Amino acid sequence: MNPITRLSAPALALAAVLAGTAAAQDSRLDRLAPEARALVPPIIDSARAAGLPTEPLVNRALEGASKGAPAPIIAAAVRRLAGDLGRAREALGPDAGAADLAAAADALRAGASTAALRRVRDALGPRRLAVPLGVTADLTARGVPADSAATLVIGLARSAADAQLLALQREVERDIALGASPLAAASGRFAAADVESPTSVSGPSTTPSPPVRRKP
Amino acid sequence: MPEFEDELVRRVAAELKRPAALDPALDARIMAEVRAHARRPRLWLLRPHTFRVTPLGILARAAALAAIVAGATLAVSRLRPGEAVVSTASAPEALTASAVPFVLYAPRARSVALVGDFNNWDTRATPLRRTGASGAWVVTVPLPPGRYRYAFLIDGTRWLADPGAPRAPDDDFGTPNSVLTVGT
Repeated sequence: MNPITRLSAPALALAAVLAGTAAAQDSRLDRLAPEARALVPPIIDSARAAGLPTEPLVNRALEGASKGAPAPIIAAAVRRLAGDLGRAREALGPDAGAADLAAAADALRAGASTAALRRVRDALGPRRLAVPLGVTADLTARGVPADSAATLVIGLARSAADAQLLALQREVERDIALGASPLAAASGRFAAADVESPTSVSGPSTTPSPPVRRKP
Repeated sequence: MPEFEDELVRRVAAELKRPAALDPALDARIMAEVRAHARRPRLWLLRPHTFRVTPLGILARAAALAAIVAGATLAVSRLRPGEAVVSTASAPEALTASAVPFVLYAPRARSVALVGDFNNWDTRATPLRRTGASGAWVVTVPLPPGRYRYAFLIDGTRWLADPGAPRAPDDDFGTPNSVLTVGT
């Protein structure tokens, strides 16, 4: 090999390493206390290496810093979220976008199963999943059984815009705040939207619901 | 051919065969003109050059290039998300920000701040302003489509989830957050 070629290869490798190191740094993490600065970046680097979105992890660390949480608590929260994002990707597939994964991680944290997430993904296809998954997460967090929430979202999201889905979620929230049980609130709004009642699919169904029947 | 024509041809041929008498200074004038052309300056960039580099020199130049790339990458990574999400209609996936109002009724609060994913959880970035004597605090924030966790910070010490928004499914740090989804 030409001596010049032999020396150029390490130089290019050095360039790649330098560029990669620079990309891995996030100046926002400078806000963390020294102990947290030692614990958190390696977790984020691992997530990045695994192809997971890092913005939610950085935000979680910053939240902990703003709330004065101890470094081990911050690190544990970031690590836990990275795990949720990883499970979300397993459920949604390697092509899922960052927003979709973040919403799916919330749904998992709220109690939804990976099977429910897959059901949403399979039913809605390649359309953007972030809002449907986010609504699933929020309904589940409010006490609507995860499978019912997924079925409700699938039924509406097939024909409704994100805005309509969010409006329905707000209505369910309001009903719950007024004293309705979560499932009753979801069922009522579901019926009002002229779709199949979620009570009939509130069990651990694994089959997608039929398309939404909406009035013209 | 008539004799007078033969004579004419002979005279013309003799004239053409006669050596031409050149000005003795002609050579000097031509060479002076050539040298003058050669001295006209050419741009350095347009002239051919020969460079000699050593393998160590190549390594040094590669390292310098790497440093430049690293610096540029670092500069980009230091952009705040608020700057990064600014998008234009020409972007492949244009994200149009929606003006989202946040309202909190806290009559006894001296200050209220909105803190969340959209402002790097910076407690000073987004203060709410009190409206009249009703105790309502408001702020409007432009947000692109997305899902955001946030909370209010009362008087710089007390964290409060938005009573009018869904609760985040976790409270890793002991204080609840709210979730806002901005649709497309």
